[in-house]
Amino acid sequence: MISIIDAAVAVNAIKTYGEGDSEVRALDGVSIQFVKGKFSAIMGPSGSGKSTLMHCLAGLDSLTAGSVSIAGTELAPLNDKALTSLRRDQIGFVFQAFNLIPTLNAYENIVLPLSLGGKSGDEAWINQVIETIGLGDRLKHRPSELSGGQQQRVAIARALASKPEIIFADEPTGNLDSKTGGEVLNFMRQAVTNLGQTIVMVTHDAVAASYADIIVFLKDGKIAGQMTEPTPDRVLDYLKHLGE
Amino acid sequence: MLFLSLKMSLARKGRLFLTSLAIILGTAFLSGTFIFSDTLNRTFDQLFAGVYKDVDAYVRSSNFVEVQFGGEQRARIPIAELATVRDVPGVVDAVGAISAYARIINKDGSPLGSDNGPPNFGAIVSESFSGLWSVDSGRLPHGPTEMMMDKWSAKKGKFAVGDTVRVNAQSGSREFALVGIATFGNVSSPGGATFALFDQPTASEFLLAPGYVDAFLVKSDGSLTDAELAAKIESTLPASGKLETLTGAEITKEEQDLIGEALGFLSTFLTAFSLIALGIGCFVIYNVFSITAAQRLRENALLRAIGASRRQITRALLVESLVIGLLGSILGFFAGIGLSRGLSALLGAVGFEIPASGLSIEFRTVMITIIVGVAVTVLSAILPARRAGKVPPLAALRDTAIETTGSNRTRFTVGLVVLALGAAALIAAGAGANIAFLGFGVLFVFAGVLVVGPGVARPIALWIGRPIEKLRGVTGAMARQNAARNPKRTARTAAPVLIGVALVTAFTAFASSVKAEIRDTIGSQFRGDYVVSAPNNGFGGLNPTLVDELGSMPQVGQATALGYATIKINGKGEFVQVIDPQTSAGLFEIEMVQNTQQSLTPNGILVSESRANSRGWTIGSKIELTMVDGTTKELEMQGTFKPSGFFSPYFLDRQVFIGSNNSYFDSVIYLKLKDGVSVTEAHDPLAAATTDKGLGELQSRDEFIDAQSGQVNQILGLIYGLLALSVIIAIVGIVITLLLSVFERKREIGLLRAIGMTRKQVRSTVRWESVITSMIGAVVGVVLGILMGVILMAVLADNGVSAFRLSIGSTLVILVLSFIIGVLAAVYPARRATKIEIIQAIATM
Repeated sequence: MISIIDAAVAVNAIKTYGEGDSEVRALDGVSIQFVKGKFSAIMGPSGSGKSTLMHCLAGLDSLTAGSVSIAGTELAPLNDKALTSLRRDQIGFVFQAFNLIPTLNAYENIVLPLSLGGKSGDEAWINQVIETIGLGDRLKHRPSELSGGQQQRVAIARALASKPEIIFADEPTGNLDSKTGGEVLNFMRQAVTNLGQTIVMVTHDAVAASYADIIVFLKDGKIAGQMTEPTPDRVLDYLKHLGE
Repeated sequence: MLFLSLKMSLARKGRLFLTSLAIILGTAFLSGTFIFSDTLNRTFDQLFAGVYKDVDAYVRSSNFVEVQFGGEQRARIPIAELATVRDVPGVVDAVGAISAYARIINKDGSPLGSDNGPPNFGAIVSESFSGLWSVDSGRLPHGPTEMMMDKWSAKKGKFAVGDTVRVNAQSGSREFALVGIATFGNVSSPGGATFALFDQPTASEFLLAPGYVDAFLVKSDGSLTDAELAAKIESTLPASGKLETLTGAEITKEEQDLIGEALGFLSTFLTAFSLIALGIGCFVIYNVFSITAAQRLRENALLRAIGASRRQITRALLVESLVIGLLGSILGFFAGIGLSRGLSALLGAVGFEIPASGLSIEFRTVMITIIVGVAVTVLSAILPARRAGKVPPLAALRDTAIETTGSNRTRFTVGLVVLALGAAALIAAGAGANIAFLGFGVLFVFAGVLVVGPGVARPIALWIGRPIEKLRGVTGAMARQNAARNPKRTARTAAPVLIGVALVTAFTAFASSVKAEIRDTIGSQFRGDYVVSAPNNGFGGLNPTLVDELGSMPQVGQATALGYATIKINGKGEFVQVIDPQTSAGLFEIEMVQNTQQSLTPNGILVSESRANSRGWTIGSKIELTMVDGTTKELEMQGTFKPSGFFSPYFLDRQVFIGSNNSYFDSVIYLKLKDGVSVTEAHDPLAAATTDKGLGELQSRDEFIDAQSGQVNQILGLIYGLLALSVIIAIVGIVITLLLSVFERKREIGLLRAIGMTRKQVRSTVRWESVITSMIGAVVGVVLGILMGVILMAVLADNGVSAFRLSIGSTLVILVLSFIIGVLAAVYPARRATKIEIIQAIATM
């Protein structure tokens, strides 16, 4: 089941909150692989468990039962320290907002995971990433001096800087207008197509999801279906059908 | 709204506790000081009330010399007059009373009791006033070979009736048969003092002068009021006798007031430090409320949006401060009870033993503590509360809740003006203006620094953080930026550390200068090999004949004594030094300006240069000396000497006092050994004649110099102890700020953890931020402290403290300690920071 071409794998993942009558099953036996070098999207209505799945895959949260692994490494037996360095070295993150450390400038934010690991990283790669995001002239700026779109691009650059196995993006365009959002999504697309990166994006926006190679639909903590070569219309149709 | 504010403050128990902690510590010191002083006062009040319980009238000499800080010295009275008093109708009985220095010597030869503790008395015991002393075992002493002692001393020295006991008094050392042990009322000894008790003739001869006592205690038959009796006695006594009669109540009151005055000095001293602690507490409270207001921005904005008025928002925060102030003060009051014990222990540790007794807690203490505590809290909260009220309703919709920062020009200007005023006052003080300028100067400089602080905190934080960034990499860099990101908050957090460090630095620099001065002075004056000093600082002394005994020992080449006496110079009470110009040459040398030390005769006086100048005296000027018994003598100024902070401005020849009625004692005997006698071989014979008999303490030159300069350390230790609480409050301030900053940066920390910051790195970031903050306080504090020390020296230059010496070692210790304070303060906030749940933190985005 687990192959080396899978960047992230979940097997029969179960996550419950609370106990007894108030028990909530956020994930109810999810099994899924995210293939290397692909742009995947996870979709689903609120409460479908899509964020929980992402948190568990990324080592931010632990499963109640089942297993997850990143690049072949099982997460469950790892302690906090090992999980932290796994996140630092093999996972990149892009969140919806508040992605950057306000006291550090754009460049410092980009190389932050590397600095935390005491590494200088692949300079050529970093330059390439910076070139791609097109913020070369704003590297000395603090986040507060950047627009929302620019901030998200810096965040993606940060996620890419350490050449991680996989990048998790949680509603990366949720706070952006459609034009800026489009730019950011284009940039993510390029990162996968041109730079060979792996991205898993959680979103509830059909347009955003349509940038992905594959979409996984979640409902009530279970996988409800998958879609390849999505378009916004097909996604919306599917969601409508899912909601019934 | 009131209900809401209460609910809001109770909903945050953690912060409630932390804010209260600052108030608790501040008010605890205040109430502790009050309780301690009250207890002390009551102990002595009861002591004197007990002493004069059965005394209806008190006869004493009307001649006395009063000296500033030194109390008063009163002439003795002839016992012969006692018969006259006894014959006054209405008098049942009258006895002589003496309270003089007498030291009981332990069986092992060491003196009983402590040198800086409760006094060691010699006194009269007789049957007629059984109320004062009651026989516990044995009997009353009769004749020149018998004595009693108080039960406390007997227990402490393991003495029993039948023992032979050695007692030292000014007239010498003598052995007595212990025939009885006495209790004072129902206590073993009043206030822990030691008492050697004799019959009247023995006491007079041994402790004072044959035929003399200090006073008569009179008991009335009750037929007259005490006032009538006193008046009657006074009119019966010959006017030429210069005697006065007081009622028992009057003398009790007088003694109580006298000790109250002395203790008042101590309370003022303690109160000053408790006010420093409270002031530092103010900063912490102000800081907490400012941060609270900032954090509650959204909450307050929401309240505004749904219709709360500005005033209601402000009032809500003020009500919260009232609740916290009240709670903190009440707890502080209780903590003060414990602290008053701590103050006792602290004073005991530095050599001032305080008699233990039940605590005296007065209603006033409770009231003052609570009123001051509440007032300080509410006042500190007013500005932040007003700012909270100004929140626009729209702020509820804004994303971040960060305190408004940015140094405005007004603040800078105001700060610089205040600083300049302070500096001007200090310079004026340095140039010799009123000492009040010094106080105002220090206050203004502090205030100015605190106003300017937020404007300069950022560059200073970045500067101090630079090496940390170099050393710690990215965590250091983030700590540096975090410390600099909110300059107002950083400045307010560093301020208490700054004040504490500045005071410690100034006191330390002052103390090391004084110590160095003492070393230099003693080193240049004293050229001998050994010193014998009086065991009891200030009370009692060496027998004036001891110097001759030591001088005639085969090992000793030269011996001279330095003594003290209380007399009047041109009608004003003064403490004067007494030397023997004949024997002091080359052994104890005063640094003379005009003439030599040897030009002093029994008809002359040496005056310090500055005193002579201020009085307009020149060589040959006539100066009137009045002895304690009222006799006068005309002296001629025979020389001037360089003033020193540790000496009285007058030196007299000891011949003036030998055989006079003016009490006189030697405090130090300086010895020079004969040529060829080594210091080591002389030690044992000299010790046998002095220390081993409990007569003074034998010290080598080095030991003596160390001991003398070491006395400064006691005071310094006391000051450190008292400042310790301020430092604790400063630490609490850092802890609170860090906790709130951590809380505020929850998302940021969550994000950092998500992208790979380890818990260790989180801790490190918080820790270094804390260190940078405390080091800002320390570095600026040290600079300010040094400046204050320099100015203090300049102000005191006239008093002989000339050289400013900065102790590099102490300064380094202060900086290292501040560093440690930073590390310690960060422990808990850092742990809280690592416990932040990543998911929760980023989910609140």
